[in-house]
Amino acid sequence: MKEQLNTIYQEFLDEISKASSLEELEKLRVAYLGKKGKITAVMKGMKSLSKEERPVIGQLANDIRSNIENGLTDKREALEKERLDKKLKEEVIDVTLPGKKQKRGSYHPLNKVIKDLEDIFIGMGFKIVDGPDIEWSKYNFDYLNMPPEHSSRDLSETFYVDTTPDQEILLRTQTSSVQARALQENGVPIRVVVPGRVYRADEIDATHSPVFHQIEGLVVDENISMSDLKGTLDLIAKKIFGEDTKTRFRPHQFYFTEPSAEMDVSCFNCGGKGCRVCQNTGWIELLGCGMVHPNVLKQCGIDPEKYSGYAFGIGLDRMAMMKYGINDLRLLFDNDLRFLEQFKVED
Amino acid sequence: MLVSLNWLKDFVDIDVTPKELEAILTDSGTKVETFETVNENEKGIVAGKILEIKKHPEADRLFVCTVNVGEKEPLTIITSAKNVFEGALVPVAVEGSILADGTEIKNTEFFGIKSQGMFCSVEELGMNKDLFQKEITEGIYILPEDFVEPGTELRAPLWIDDKIYDIELTANRGDCQSVLGIAKETAAALDTSFRPLNFVQDKEGDEISDYLKVEVLSDECPRYTARMFKVKKIEDSPMWMQLRLLNSGVRPINNIVDVTNYVMLEMGQPLHAFDYESIGTDEIVVRTGNTEKTVTTLDEKERPINEEMLMITNGQKPIAVAGIMGGLNSEIKEDTKLVVLESANFDKTSIRKTSKDLGLRTESSARYEKGIYPELAAEASARAAYLFEEIGAATPIEGFIDIVRVENPNKDIEIELDIDWLNKFLGTDLKLQDVREYLNRLFLGTELKDNKLVVRIPPDRQDLRIKEDLAEEVARLYGYNNIPLTIMSGDTYIGERTKEQRIEDLVTDILIGLGSDQTMTTSFIGPSKLKSYGFNDWEKTVIINPLGEESSLMRPSLLPHQLEVIAINQNRGNQEGSLFEIQKTYHEEKTDGLPSERKDLVLTEFGKDRSFYDLKGKLEEIFDHLGIRDVRYIPEGSEIFHPGRKAKIKVGDLEFGQIGEIHPATLKENGIAGPVIEAELSFDRLCELADETIAYEDLPKFPDSTRDLALVVGKEILSADLIDTIKHEGGDLLESVNLFDVYTGSPIPEDKKSLAYTLVFRHPEKTLTDQEVNEKIEKILNALSLEYNAELR
Repeated sequence: MKEQLNTIYQEFLDEISKASSLEELEKLRVAYLGKKGKITAVMKGMKSLSKEERPVIGQLANDIRSNIENGLTDKREALEKERLDKKLKEEVIDVTLPGKKQKRGSYHPLNKVIKDLEDIFIGMGFKIVDGPDIEWSKYNFDYLNMPPEHSSRDLSETFYVDTTPDQEILLRTQTSSVQARALQENGVPIRVVVPGRVYRADEIDATHSPVFHQIEGLVVDENISMSDLKGTLDLIAKKIFGEDTKTRFRPHQFYFTEPSAEMDVSCFNCGGKGCRVCQNTGWIELLGCGMVHPNVLKQCGIDPEKYSGYAFGIGLDRMAMMKYGINDLRLLFDNDLRFLEQFKVED
Repeated sequence: MLVSLNWLKDFVDIDVTPKELEAILTDSGTKVETFETVNENEKGIVAGKILEIKKHPEADRLFVCTVNVGEKEPLTIITSAKNVFEGALVPVAVEGSILADGTEIKNTEFFGIKSQGMFCSVEELGMNKDLFQKEITEGIYILPEDFVEPGTELRAPLWIDDKIYDIELTANRGDCQSVLGIAKETAAALDTSFRPLNFVQDKEGDEISDYLKVEVLSDECPRYTARMFKVKKIEDSPMWMQLRLLNSGVRPINNIVDVTNYVMLEMGQPLHAFDYESIGTDEIVVRTGNTEKTVTTLDEKERPINEEMLMITNGQKPIAVAGIMGGLNSEIKEDTKLVVLESANFDKTSIRKTSKDLGLRTESSARYEKGIYPELAAEASARAAYLFEEIGAATPIEGFIDIVRVENPNKDIEIELDIDWLNKFLGTDLKLQDVREYLNRLFLGTELKDNKLVVRIPPDRQDLRIKEDLAEEVARLYGYNNIPLTIMSGDTYIGERTKEQRIEDLVTDILIGLGSDQTMTTSFIGPSKLKSYGFNDWEKTVIINPLGEESSLMRPSLLPHQLEVIAINQNRGNQEGSLFEIQKTYHEEKTDGLPSERKDLVLTEFGKDRSFYDLKGKLEEIFDHLGIRDVRYIPEGSEIFHPGRKAKIKVGDLEFGQIGEIHPATLKENGIAGPVIEAELSFDRLCELADETIAYEDLPKFPDSTRDLALVVGKEILSADLIDTIKHEGGDLLESVNLFDVYTGSPIPEDKKSLAYTLVFRHPEKTLTDQEVNEKIEKILNALSLEYNAELR
């Protein structure tokens, strides 16, 4: 029986060396280790052995059995590896072919600029508020201390929806129109920005449009000073155009602020050395601003002796054009997909 | 406004470079747009006296001139100019000199005779030829006899090296519309002294009343003054005066008119000179309500006038449009003997309106529009009188007519300024003494009273009325850029977006993630365009004064502009795309008296492979993100859509949008290739419906049981209705039902379709048996068969 077992094992070694597939391997396992397999048959014949022989042969049978099992496992692993290697070889791809298109849309460049500004202002404690495009004349002009005879009220400069005296309704010419609304609704202290659409009777060309966009800022509180206005706007300019940006303030005139100023930023294109973008001045005019005129505060029932504040307005279309080097305002309104899709990058 | 640096130097010492001055003026509030030299190139052109002129022996048209240019030997200059004469003083470009256009002059031989240079015209000198009479610019520029010694370089005497500043004035600085005003600002900014003007000292006498009486009938003329002069000789004004006019962009005409223009440029007060005899009567009446239909102005144009316009009349007919332009009928002529000089104050609104109605804007009207203080009228008149005598143009007739129709209400204004308030307001730490000095430099008198400065405002500073105005004066002289940079102290504020603003950002991000491009379109639309897009019954928010018919309405919907965007893109070869925009629409219905504004969301898909379901998928994604459940699509909607491919979008009874394929006829009419699918939703409603709360539910403990049902129904049957029935019959045990296939075609009959659904059943507390589920399925199928004649496939 011992010889029989050895022979079986020899036969197994012989056959397993010839096996070349997992299927053949399975057949071998059944042939040797299965219920009707050769080793099983031998084990069944053990009953006929003597008490002395039984443990010896049993030990041998178990050894051979586990050898066969190990042999099968080793061979299986080898074959599986071989099969995988072959498969991997077949599956080689050209990694230089282009990726599958997952189309993502684009922000409109103007909305991108608005969003960036909003985020900066929110970080400085401003709330974002809105007001109507179609507005009472009083909010657009009267409450802003605009003289009754001022030319900007003319039909040739401002679009009107209703010209009934004292009830004039117009398309707001400036987001400043929301100043009085916000002050009346919110009271003081207040810290808001108002992005929005404004209208003026200009024919459309490369730099003008009857519809354009502004963002207005308004801060009123006790102890607000002109240095706060400067500090805030300087910080904002640095956030928008980079830490090295310098600002300068020039005296100017607006009816709803006193003192009034215009703020220039050092040219982001040339850093202030002078180039085409800044027309060789090194500076780019960015916004108008000033300390809220006491008449504006009074009109809104706020005591200008106790409260002071500042306001500013930035032209957004021009800013988007400057930021991205867009040379014609009309491109912003054309919505040519080849234009829009250039603004995919999260900048 | 153009300001000559040389002229400024009459009044103020300038010890900085022109470039530095530009920056100093701009920083102190007088914004310099540009500045340039009259001509950069010209160099070395000298004055020469023509001693002799002979014909060129070899050339008919040429003359050989002997010219004294201050050297021992006169030069020989050959010219073809006909306006030169013996004894004339002319500009000579000698060898080595450079003309205005950069040409360097060399000696040249003409038919055997060497010309040692050339005579020059105004243009070759680099002066603005548009400001000279044609006769002068066509020939050689003949200089006044005693202008300079022969041989003198002309660059400086002719002010060719002058710098011209183009200054942008703000609306409140009427006082700066003059060389004097800018000079005062310059003196203040540079902290140097200022030289005042000379005026005539009036003598006693009233001879003028023998000639003229003046009547002012309108408050639109608060003050009117007149003087009269006997003309000595009408001729060119002296060079010093001409050059100051030229470098301010004003054309010299004659010594009378030039003085009026000179004083206007110098002091900012428009003046007008009438030929006394042409007035035709012995009175001047300033009035509105004239009955003439037209007036012919100095520029020889006949202009229609109306009775609201303020006119200067001779009591019968207009002789000038007040403050804008004189009439041709009373202009100064070569033989004028008596001159009436008007110096008046007119209401700025009246002038602006008339100027606009006439479409005529002049140096004069521009100055009145900004506002001139009434006292200036008298000062300027006295100044002009001084100049008439000074240049020998005319002698005064004694007397001065001065009519004050409206007293200046703003006399003797004083403003109190508290230095502590000032420093708090500006965020500065200025000393009283410094503040006082800044104000004094601006010609504002100050007095210290109870620790406050009392500041006296001179009449020319009509812009200074409250202490904040003075804060600006102090700030700009201290330097805006010297004010420190600080950030608001005190309470901290939290900046944030409202729910609507957050949702707008979220929806924008979702749609961009799903491949849609954000558009930005105008708010305007026109009636015919709306009609062509199938809006037959639009809401009218009409602009009274639109730029054109096609932009005369505020848009009631975002849909039309999306179609316009598609048209533009298809024209340019962009055949497919996905678009969206969140913007306002405008509606007739009033909110607090104003046309109401709503925010809408519009989505568009265009291109041949796009379908209704592509767009609906995006909507569903938005609704999922916003927690909007149970959205229903009812197959009806606007006529802009394909009748069989449109739906109203509802939650419960609330309709908040529409989706559909644009009607093929509409596309055709607008030259757009289909299909185009659009959806328009009320963004406001979307925000109201959004439920951003997340309520966590325990994960199921027991397994589900899934069944697929393929149903054959009539083509007209709506899937949503089948689902409603399935849900109703399925009850609580039915966890979900989802469509997974739609099939039409063989072997399904032609008028039918097959819809396949996956139904998931689950009980929260036990495992469902097959029998329990089968009972449910049977119930569902019975109901479907009954209600929709549905059969199991």
